[in-house]
Amino acid sequence: MGFEWLAIAMFVGFLLIMLTGFPVAFSFAGSAIVFGLVGLSLDAFDLNLLRLLPNRWFGTMSDFTLLAIPYFIFLGAILERSGLAEELLEAIGVLLGPLRGGMALAVIIVGTLLAATTGVVAATVIMMGMMSLPVMLRNGYDKKVAAGSIIASGTLAQLIPPSLVLVVLADQIGVSVGDLFLGALIPGLMLAGSYMLYIVFIAITQPKKVPALPKEMRTLSGGALFRRVMKAVVPPLLLIFAVLGSIFFGIATPTEAGAVGSVGALILAAMNKRLSWENLYGAANSTARITGLVLMIIFCSSFFAVVFDGLGGKTFITLLLTGIPGGVLGFMIVSNIAVFFLGMFLEFIEIVYIVLPLFVPAAKALGIDPVWFGVVMAINLQIAFISPPVGFSLFYLQSVAPPEMKTSEIHRSAFPFMALQVVVLALVLAFPQTVSWLVNAAVK
Amino acid sequence: MRALLKIAHGIDALSNFLGKVATLLVLVVVAVGFYNVAARYLGRFIGRQLSSNVFIEIQWYIYSVIFFLSFPYILLHDVNVRVDFLYTKWSPQRRAWVDLIGTIIFIIPFCIMGMYVTVNPVLASWGKLPGGGWGTWEMSPDPGGLPRAPIKTLIIVAFAALLLQAIAQVIKYIAILTGHHEVEDELREEATGHELVA
Repeated sequence: MGFEWLAIAMFVGFLLIMLTGFPVAFSFAGSAIVFGLVGLSLDAFDLNLLRLLPNRWFGTMSDFTLLAIPYFIFLGAILERSGLAEELLEAIGVLLGPLRGGMALAVIIVGTLLAATTGVVAATVIMMGMMSLPVMLRNGYDKKVAAGSIIASGTLAQLIPPSLVLVVLADQIGVSVGDLFLGALIPGLMLAGSYMLYIVFIAITQPKKVPALPKEMRTLSGGALFRRVMKAVVPPLLLIFAVLGSIFFGIATPTEAGAVGSVGALILAAMNKRLSWENLYGAANSTARITGLVLMIIFCSSFFAVVFDGLGGKTFITLLLTGIPGGVLGFMIVSNIAVFFLGMFLEFIEIVYIVLPLFVPAAKALGIDPVWFGVVMAINLQIAFISPPVGFSLFYLQSVAPPEMKTSEIHRSAFPFMALQVVVLALVLAFPQTVSWLVNAAVK
Repeated sequence: MRALLKIAHGIDALSNFLGKVATLLVLVVVAVGFYNVAARYLGRFIGRQLSSNVFIEIQWYIYSVIFFLSFPYILLHDVNVRVDFLYTKWSPQRRAWVDLIGTIIFIIPFCIMGMYVTVNPVLASWGKLPGGGWGTWEMSPDPGGLPRAPIKTLIIVAFAALLLQAIAQVIKYIAILTGHHEVEDELREEATGHELVA
């Protein structure tokens, strides 16, 4: 005891290294090296503690939860190359476009469907930004409504299961991925529903902002339109039911469901005649890269954690956080405000591996349901994705937006949707049943 | 400098090769994962044991090989999550300084530390007894499982490969700082880690 100040200095040192733009993984490792050595020289750190590391690493290798990562990334990477998303957007756009607010609703519906098949925000935002944004702007949509609906619904990919955020959250919090997937489903749909209500509200009160597309845009009608929509909607729905259904009914673990879903995605891609060797190799290559990147961060953060705990940092922070007045409510408010502000500057992977390890022991000590806590954090991370100035969904849209769209307009377009996210966050905080109901209903 | 850059490019080629192996193994791990689920249900249906602990364990063995082989590959291609609002505004020279210093004082010691702490557990896994002498190597605790020693050894191999790539990066950063501007393009060719992860 008595060296907590060194643990705090270590944390600050880590943040400073990271701010120089040095990779996050190695900022963990670097601060652990530096402060481990300082701790050794002050007799504050026991070198024998490093012997814990190999066992933690072996544990990471054989962890069946983390094994889900390559499967869900591969599933998403194949779908991204399958042309399925484009077809979906086109069909639903033709169906709803001629209604007032219809194009924005189509974007939200497609964003939600894609979110339930994959977990790739960048791909969804870029695809919808390229395909829908020009159409909406040309037909007189308000720029902010158009951009905001793309950003917000594209970001759902990381809340609606399956998603990488939920897998790494489950790993950090120590709950099953399946429970977290099921727990996040209803809040995710609540968000999607709130976005759609908002568009309907605008369509009624300010119809000029979301005009109907001219009737000529509807190139198909009647039976032909119906067949077109079915052809686009049924394959992803089947995939969603196969993956989420098998988790819900206890047929497969999330990892197994990911493997089956990957094969399903390959079949869909083959049916669309998009299963070339280039696509297959490209998807496998980005899977290898992302898996390597995530695991590198995990390896480095275990090293950080061993040194940080060794200096007494974890005990100190837990003591501090459990002492917040107001018990569970006070803790939830403080942790959410912290994640909200950090989310403006950091991305989910940093937050999950930097901030959560500090919060989780306190949450457990306070007896908070870990699945609920994880879902609340995941909703909060949705805000991080779209909050200016460093929301990554904003960057993705910016990279494909037409030149007349100013950066400041894209930034401001996020605000109404952030407000909706805060409302849903508050609802989930007030009604934990929104999370626990589906988890308890699932077949175990 | 030219000779050193040649060495660096040799190491790059090795890391690219490892990355290619990892990429192909992704396809294998998908196939094995699907086989395990299919075999379990098909086996139950026809009343025969089709899956085994070998296939269950080979799944996470391949997955471990994938990410270990990717470590040097992602360092080479700068597939990193960075907090980059300062970094992107800096000149290539200044970035090279940050990366050079960071690589030397953080990444290289980390690799050495990683190898140092894993050597003894790995040797023990190969059967080295505390008093000297050798026993049997460590096996999976599950019936019909695989030997653990080779996969544990891979941690050391991964850190060694990462160390090599870190040295190659150091050479390239020094090249930039000594006016070999052509190296700059080599370093910033790839999509950022953020774009891939999210």
